Amino acid sequence: MNETQQGQSAVQPGVAQAGTPILVLKKLDKRFGATHALKAVDLTFEAGEIHAIVGENGAGKSTLIKMLTGVHVRSSGEVYWEGKPVALATPHEAIAHGINAVHQEVVLCAHLTVAANLFLGDEKVKFGLLQHREMVSEGQKILDDLGFNLPAGAMLSDLTIGQQQLVATARASKRGTRFLIFDEPTGYLTRQEAAQLFILIRRLKASGVTIVYISHRLEEVFQLCDRVSILRDGQLVSTQKVSETNEEKLIVGMINRSVDQVHYKETIPFGAEILRTEHLSGKGFEDVSVRVRSGEVIGLYGLIGAGRSEFVMSLFGRSPKTGGQIFWNGYPVDIRKEKDAISRGIALVPESRRDQGLCLNLGVGFNINLPVYKRLTKGIIIDPFAEKASADKQIRDVQIKTASRDAPASSLSGGNQQKIVVGKWLNHGAELFIFDEPTVGVDVGTKFEIYKLFATLLKAGAGIILISSYLPEVYDLSDTLHVFRRGRLVSSHIGEKAAHENILTEAIGV
Amino acid sequence: MSVDPKSVAAGVDAARSAVPKKGAQIGTLLSLTLVGLLALMWIVLALSTKSFWTYNNITNLFRQGAMIAILSLGETFVIITAGIDLSVGAVVGFASVIVAWFLTNGFPIWAAIIITLLFGLLIGVFHAFGISKLGLPPFIMTLATLTALRGVGLLITNGATISITNDAFTGFSRAEFLGAPSLFWMVVVVAIPAYIFLHQSRFGRYLFAIGSNAEAARLSGVNTVRMMYVAYTLSSVCAAFVGVLLAMRIGIGNATQAEGWELQAIASSVIGGTSLFGAVGSVHGPLLGSFILTTINNGANLLNVNAFWQRIITGVLIIVIVYFDGLRRKKR
Repeated sequence: MNETQQGQSAVQPGVAQAGTPILVLKKLDKRFGATHALKAVDLTFEAGEIHAIVGENGAGKSTLIKMLTGVHVRSSGEVYWEGKPVALATPHEAIAHGINAVHQEVVLCAHLTVAANLFLGDEKVKFGLLQHREMVSEGQKILDDLGFNLPAGAMLSDLTIGQQQLVATARASKRGTRFLIFDEPTGYLTRQEAAQLFILIRRLKASGVTIVYISHRLEEVFQLCDRVSILRDGQLVSTQKVSETNEEKLIVGMINRSVDQVHYKETIPFGAEILRTEHLSGKGFEDVSVRVRSGEVIGLYGLIGAGRSEFVMSLFGRSPKTGGQIFWNGYPVDIRKEKDAISRGIALVPESRRDQGLCLNLGVGFNINLPVYKRLTKGIIIDPFAEKASADKQIRDVQIKTASRDAPASSLSGGNQQKIVVGKWLNHGAELFIFDEPTVGVDVGTKFEIYKLFATLLKAGAGIILISSYLPEVYDLSDTLHVFRRGRLVSSHIGEKAAHENILTEAIGV
Repeated sequence: MSVDPKSVAAGVDAARSAVPKKGAQIGTLLSLTLVGLLALMWIVLALSTKSFWTYNNITNLFRQGAMIAILSLGETFVIITAGIDLSVGAVVGFASVIVAWFLTNGFPIWAAIIITLLFGLLIGVFHAFGISKLGLPPFIMTLATLTALRGVGLLITNGATISITNDAFTGFSRAEFLGAPSLFWMVVVVAIPAYIFLHQSRFGRYLFAIGSNAEAARLSGVNTVRMMYVAYTLSSVCAAFVGVLLAMRIGIGNATQAEGWELQAIASSVIGGTSLFGAVGSVHGPLLGSFILTTINNGANLLNVNAFWQRIITGVLIIVIVYFDGLRRKKR
């Protein structure tokens, strides 16, 4: 491929000298109708670097990736790949140059095996027939080489989302990739999986691959990356060496305001007990005793599969308990169905609000009123004035930013969608809110809004159960932090908490 | 604290205000387009043929359109839940047999009609049972009953046609009230409660919620299983009612009648703006859609267009209307 470098034994063919520009963007511009998504961005990616791109949602990161991978065609500007101008007009062209991406959402075929996905579009064929066995054994070798503990013969749908993400990574990092973009790769990964991914990324870098790394988790940027570029409102704010900046400076650059504390927390006096469990056991968890008071946030931390989700799902009536007791406002209650939980005033703000929380193509007001239409009905018809008033009250109280109550929920930002879910339950009179991973894939500004929302809820007398795999978040936001491991509650920190490392150790159980 | 959410909010508001709020407007725009299309077709047909704007033809058009209208109205409830009911044509044929059988066996008209509607109810309950309890996809469940019901109807009559000799029964289809065919009034009788149900009652809201996101609806405390029973039952009862009307009109009960009407019902609904992906639909949409389809067929007959062309025109119209509707929705 690259004859000039054949004499140099240390450099593989096709690998540019580290530090030389490999992909250069000049005045890259993109408009979608009236929206100016990317404004004259000048950016240089150097061969063999790990280049972080940070910015709030809507800052133009996705647009930039889509242009580099040939999904969108630029409106104006130039792109140079190894010094030569390129069009990057189709995904095919991008791949032919060796530009690949691992997307936030897994885009693979769930009903094929891991190996089949690895070789999709590039299958091993003999006499026109697929060589299944060969692909599985070779796929297994690829996975083993990468240090991923995954079976190549398994169906993709049998893997967790995190594992699927690793398969997507393996797929993107094999064969001829020279420029690899990771979009929020750790959102659904466990800590071990994330560690494996980081090892892989460093290895790719060592072999000369240029990495673009996009993440909302700024500490990952400092762990992993060489340089960082900040995008804001479609413009490039700065490109710096990671060693010359810090988290605070990045946040300031991203949101153009200074932040004392992103993990916004007010001290709110606790009120009466709302919910208590005593030695509660069920599918996937055992002997869990916790208590939530009015105005209190309890955080549940643990690795994926530690039993936190199973525990709250049982509180919400998804799977009945097998032992122990739940007390609601001091009285023992039996929660067998979701209906029992909802009618008592337990609200679930699910992890995936798109799948479980909202009717996205219906109006904001519709979503807010969905649990209470019975209350809004007079005779057989809905009172249109009560319907409007009830929606408007929540839009005002929870400060949902929307063009109107009839605007579809899908037109709102992630944080505001989260607020619709909360407004819906407040409308219903919920007292206890279960937030399951509320800030996955959410930018700093939205996170801040969600945390403000917590304060609003707590001041109104609600209690919150917060599940998060992101330790700094649960650590800073909860009044009481419970650590789960293998279905059991291993420790509870009330008030003064142990150091991060100790909590991690408890969760992992070293 | 120097982060000011209000300033963020102001920015967001400014960005949003550029986007006009279009939720309801899209529906209105489509309805106006459809009304315009219908009016245009009528004017063109009235000018280009002698026989279109005649008393006989117009009443005929209303009678024919009325049946498809009621059928597609029922179908719309199901499509709004993101389901589909392929059996409605078969239910019409089956219901015509049932009502004819009871009439020829000496039952009074009111009893025969009520029994037929009850059969419709049972069919709907069976559909909902298969879909929500046995977990069959709506397409498969209703495809199965589409085949089976025609078979049951043919078994009952042993393949023959039951002639209805009750003149009071068949006379209704030719009757008129306030200058409009009685069959057309039946549309009004069905459409008004349907409108209240779909647009003004909470159950209508629940149908939309299920069609948009069944899991979110369930987690919001909506009894989604019960609503599935409601939707499929309404569809089948509407179809059984159309079966009764058809038996009145042609004076026979025959299980092979109304062949392909399920597709006309679905097409009318879709032309009227119902989304096959669920959560989008109205009562007036399928009504307009069915009269547009009926007008196309009627006009094509009058213009001596080959009957095969009518099918092609219908197909093209569905693609064109749904394509433009989709474009408009995307522009939001």
